[in-house]
Amino acid sequence: MASQPANLLQGTLDLLILKALALGQLHGLGVSRRIEQITRGTFNVKPGSLFPALHRMEDAGWLASVWGASENNRKAKYYRLTAKGRRQLETEIGQWQRIAVAITFALQAT
Amino acid sequence: MSFLRNLFAKGAVERDLDQELRSYIDLLTEEKIKAGMSPDEASRAARLEAGSIEHIKDEVRDVRKGSLLDSGLQDFRYGIRLLRRSPGFTTLAVLTIGLGIGANSAIFSVINGVVRKPLAYPGADRLMFITSQFPGLNFNKFWMSPPEYFDFKEHTKAFAHVAAYTTGAMNLSEGDRPQRVNAAFVTASMFDVLGVRPLRGTVFTPEQDLPGADPVVVLSHELWTRAFGGDPSIVGKAVMIQGRQRTVLAVMPPGFDLHDSRSQLWIPLGLDPNNRRNRGSHFTYVVGRLGTDRTAAQANAELQGFLKQWGEWAPNTHVPNDSTHRVQMAPLRDEVVGNVRRALWVLQGAVALVLLIACANVANLLLARAESRHKEFAVRTALGASKTRILRQFMSEGTVLSLLGAVLGLALAFWGLKALLAANPESVPRATEITLDPVVLAFTVGVALLTGLVFGLAPLLHMGEQAVSLSIKEGGVRATSGSGRNRVRRGLVVAEIALAVMLVIGAGLLIRTFRNLTSVDAGFDAENRVTFGLVLPQATYPDSQRVVQVIADLSRKLDEIPGVERVSGMQGLPPQRPVNANDTNFEGYTPGTGDPPANVDYYQTVTLGYFEAMGIKILKGRAFETGDAIGGPVTIINESLARRFYEDKDPLGRRLDPFLTNNGTLFTIIGVARDVKQGGLEAPAGTELYFNHEQLPRITGFAPRQMNLVLHVSRPLSTLALPIRDAVSAIDPGLPIVQLRTMEDVIGASLARQRFLSLLLGIFAGVALLLAAIGTYGVLSYMVSERHREIGIRMALGAGNGQVVGLVLRQGVTIAAVGIVVGVIGALALSRITRTLLFGVAPSDPMTFGTVVAVIAVVAVAACLVPMLRATRVDPLTAIRAD
Repeated sequence: MASQPANLLQGTLDLLILKALALGQLHGLGVSRRIEQITRGTFNVKPGSLFPALHRMEDAGWLASVWGASENNRKAKYYRLTAKGRRQLETEIGQWQRIAVAITFALQAT
Repeated sequence: MSFLRNLFAKGAVERDLDQELRSYIDLLTEEKIKAGMSPDEASRAARLEAGSIEHIKDEVRDVRKGSLLDSGLQDFRYGIRLLRRSPGFTTLAVLTIGLGIGANSAIFSVINGVVRKPLAYPGADRLMFITSQFPGLNFNKFWMSPPEYFDFKEHTKAFAHVAAYTTGAMNLSEGDRPQRVNAAFVTASMFDVLGVRPLRGTVFTPEQDLPGADPVVVLSHELWTRAFGGDPSIVGKAVMIQGRQRTVLAVMPPGFDLHDSRSQLWIPLGLDPNNRRNRGSHFTYVVGRLGTDRTAAQANAELQGFLKQWGEWAPNTHVPNDSTHRVQMAPLRDEVVGNVRRALWVLQGAVALVLLIACANVANLLLARAESRHKEFAVRTALGASKTRILRQFMSEGTVLSLLGAVLGLALAFWGLKALLAANPESVPRATEITLDPVVLAFTVGVALLTGLVFGLAPLLHMGEQAVSLSIKEGGVRATSGSGRNRVRRGLVVAEIALAVMLVIGAGLLIRTFRNLTSVDAGFDAENRVTFGLVLPQATYPDSQRVVQVIADLSRKLDEIPGVERVSGMQGLPPQRPVNANDTNFEGYTPGTGDPPANVDYYQTVTLGYFEAMGIKILKGRAFETGDAIGGPVTIINESLARRFYEDKDPLGRRLDPFLTNNGTLFTIIGVARDVKQGGLEAPAGTELYFNHEQLPRITGFAPRQMNLVLHVSRPLSTLALPIRDAVSAIDPGLPIVQLRTMEDVIGASLARQRFLSLLLGIFAGVALLLAAIGTYGVLSYMVSERHREIGIRMALGAGNGQVVGLVLRQGVTIAAVGIVVGVIGALALSRITRTLLFGVAPSDPMTFGTVVAVIAVVAVAACLVPMLRATRVDPLTAIRAD
């Protein structure tokens, strides 16, 4: 197996899932692959973290799910953002940017 | 919404999740095939990459709302299934817990009914009980005299209502069967104080409570239904009470009682408010209801002020003060339940200990099971069950066990209580209020859940110490026992033994107390004595000379019955009767300044031949003789009185004025009798004066109408009961016989509470001892089976039976010794609580302690026997080859 990419930073998984789904509905594996793609292969989300997170977020009302057919006509469960999910994404992006700036400043300090 | 869906549409949700994960793996496989793998290869790689499906499902379930409840139910079902699979273990555990919980529920329901519930009056917390106190005479909670009651009632501002009462018994001649019923003589204000309205009619007014008013009566609901068949037109009718017609004014509601007196009749006390003489005549209790805006503290402060002023209200008389003749108040509830409260809490403590021991035992059983289920848990962990999930499962197993135990316990408590109260009806006050009510149920469920939690945590104690993954590999490494987990098990057994030691010592002390009490010399001979009570009503026998005649006639008739050797009569029945203290003037005796007035605890009036019939020794002088009936006034004193008022001088021939007649009638002391217990076997005898029944009417103009006859017999009571009844009804068919019984029963009844307490504690201690023995046995057997291999090796290397037995015995003895030491220390620490319940034995009595330690040691060694035998039977060859 390829060397394990950087561990997901605590709390960033939700943000990444929300971001991945912001572009359109995806099934579980799709979410995982989209995250891999948009993080340029840095993060590979395993099902053991992915599915609990998806279900938790659905329970929180950020995601909605529907059964549909995959590209190859397989039955798959598709997730999409709800209005509440979009708002949550905005909030989390804002938070993340503040953190990123703060951490950057901190690391540049001499 | 999704919570409910999760819970109820569980099947659908599970299937959904299943499908989602399957499709994930399918998609992953497809992806890999596209990347060039063979379908088989791709499928395997996908499964590997996905990891444990079960684990993912568990995790998903965990994040779902409602999952806690959901997997809780699952655990619960799993728990029941497992318990059903091992019925032996389950039965033992449920029985043990059921015993522990049952005992707790039973005692708690007694405490709940007797101590915790408010008295059955509206605003019962505002009721205060007011009594006098004579520190110099050692009288506490003593009666008040009517003038003191009127003084208090007039001056108090803290109390809205004040009432006085006394209790007694009356003959009710209604229908064909005369009967004796308890009566309360109360002031009219009593109904305001207690705040209870009658069911029918109206209660008596202050005018009807004056001396000389027309005789009236208020009936209890019980008497109304039992004796009068619930006659709806009873109010206004006249009933014959104590030979006198009394008009029924009212019927009280069911359950109405005063001070647990079981009164059936309520009769005006008839005090004269204008009569403020006879201040020394203390015979009423006083109850008050605080004003709505007043507190008990204010009332008490007011009372303390009164004690300083009382002399101004009634100058130059014997009045309450703040040194020698105090007046005190306490909540009425304390008075009703006061002296049993401590005993009940001691019992509750005892059953709590029993439950703890039961818990320790079951925890040990569960622990042993947990060890044998190590592999099961390891496998489940490997399959993805989380540690919290396994813990939860322990908990739910424990909870199932304790809930089953609670059901059994409630049944035990219900039947046990019924049997106990039926066997000992007089042992606790308010016995009718003891029920298994919702509070008791809640208590039981609470206790059960708590114990369930304890069981759940116990196996974890050692689970936590070990990495679960090790257990799968374990199996070969068994040569020595894991000392860590055994420490927990041994600790539990040590605790069990310590608790059992404490309980058995407590029970031992109480049993010795009871034995001491039964062997107390009551001062009279109870063997072969039969007694019953009789009251000659004023209305039927107005002349006191006639009363004496009737008693004498009856005595003669009784004496003619074959098997009756001697007959005599007495006013008060020893060994336990109320103090009837009276101020008495002793010729030549003046109380020192600050000393209380000369006062004698018990006046006793007896007929001829009394001292012989009762087997009471006359130490000096003589007993009453026939000639005294026509001779001068004479009296006999007891030893205590001689000591107190005559010290080392000879009392014979000295004179005293017992009835304060002021007409110069002095009684001459003709004899000194041995002390006879009057205030209970555990109390000092007190001072006593004997008067001659035959002589009294001529000297004082009255004679007691309430007499107890005593018969010295040579045949059992069962063969005498009928002739005795015949003799009484031949004299007067309207006279009820009260409590015909042996004198030994009279003594037994005075010890009812102590017997109840020592019996219960004895039972609990026995259960505790048994459980502790089972626990010791269990842990040692386990040790032997666990060290099976080690023992085998030792034997193969030449260890003899003696050494192997020593190995086991050493373990058992160490556990027992540590338990006993801890228990003895605990028992000593608790002695402060038990001290007041004991009689004639110190709370650290070395005899009891020694015996208990020896018994427990023997029991512990006995518990080692089977494991020791088993150890010697270990076959070295199979032991080493095993595994």
